[in-house]
Amino acid sequence: MVGQDSSDDIEDVSLFDADDDVSRRSKKSKIRHPVASFFHLFFRVSAIVVYLLCELLTSSFIACMVTIILLLSCDFWAVKNVTGRLMVGLRWWNQVDDDGRSHWVFEARKVSAQGSKTSSEAESRIFWLGLITCPMIWVIFAFSALFSFKVKWLAVVVMGVVLQGANLYGYIRCKVGSRKNLTSMATNYLGKQFLRQVSFPGFWKPSSHTCFYPSASLLPGL
Amino acid sequence: MRDLKAVGKKFVHVMYPKKSSALLRDWDLWGPLVLCVSLALMLQGGSADSKDDGGPQFAEVFVIIWFGAVVITLNSKLLGGTISFFQSLCVLGYCVLPLTVAMLVCRLVLLAGSGTVSFIIRLIVVVAMFGWSTLASTAFLADSQPPNRKALVVYPIFLFYFVISWMILTFTPQ
Repeated sequence: MVGQDSSDDIEDVSLFDADDDVSRRSKKSKIRHPVASFFHLFFRVSAIVVYLLCELLTSSFIACMVTIILLLSCDFWAVKNVTGRLMVGLRWWNQVDDDGRSHWVFEARKVSAQGSKTSSEAESRIFWLGLITCPMIWVIFAFSALFSFKVKWLAVVVMGVVLQGANLYGYIRCKVGSRKNLTSMATNYLGKQFLRQVSFPGFWKPSSHTCFYPSASLLPGL
Repeated sequence: MRDLKAVGKKFVHVMYPKKSSALLRDWDLWGPLVLCVSLALMLQGGSADSKDDGGPQFAEVFVIIWFGAVVITLNSKLLGGTISFFQSLCVLGYCVLPLTVAMLVCRLVLLAGSGTVSFIIRLIVVVAMFGWSTLASTAFLADSQPPNRKALVVYPIFLFYFVISWMILTFTPQ
């Protein structure tokens, strides 16, 4: 009897923890702006795909080039104006003062206290993944075009590198702030990663079907 | 949308070049991109080796326009101009609009025939649009320079639009 009660208690505790984990996981992995996430990746990836498959798709160099240019410019506009703002809360632009001097402004959205407006982890991961890998792929294409002497593609590839590199640089400046914040940001990030590893899945059982395991082992009499 | 309206307003400012801050203050490079692509599309397929289906010419026009604009901007900045890099690129790109109109007119005239009369018409149109382009861009750009350096800034702009006009005038379709 006493054993039953205690096993019920342990079951209740484990279920409660599983509930908490599920809600935490859903908040982190929920994608709040599916359309923006889709378009963030769609334009970049399709520009790369068209560049790779252009010889197979159509024999006209000009159609390929115009398509890639259109996709690259749509991607630049979408990432700079829409997806950065929605997915990670960062934006950057150029401002010209009244006396004619121009300067670049980089802004990051403040994290509000109740956390309802914070961006989800999944969106942030999608955003940065797309933002970082595509310019690197275009740089690889640039070197391959240069060394295989396919010079006519160099204009398109250079345009790809410049546009996507500009977005990458702008958002990194937004995120980092100024140069001397980089080391403090890196240590903060590493510290947070370490804490997350320690506190999250090590002690709590993540799903409900494994919660019976420890209760069975804790009560060897039953 | 906001960006499209801004681009349209700049096109209007180029056609009637008064000293306005719209072109200079809120620069954007969408208009130059559209103009460059349409000019390059209209100029392709116009020379002897058609086996490459006009590929190199498209990239050539693109590179000439953008590289030329960058060089002029660097030149004006090295001469001590007060205008920023992207503002200058914006003005130079938008002032290609009259030449794009000239290209359109030339293509229509060439559809009708390619004799001496059509050449004279094309010459007049191209020279007029070239003058308009150069005057529009110098109206925006030359004010940012000290007065004894104005000619040094105007000359590369003149050369840039001259090269583009030459490409337009010597275009003969296959």
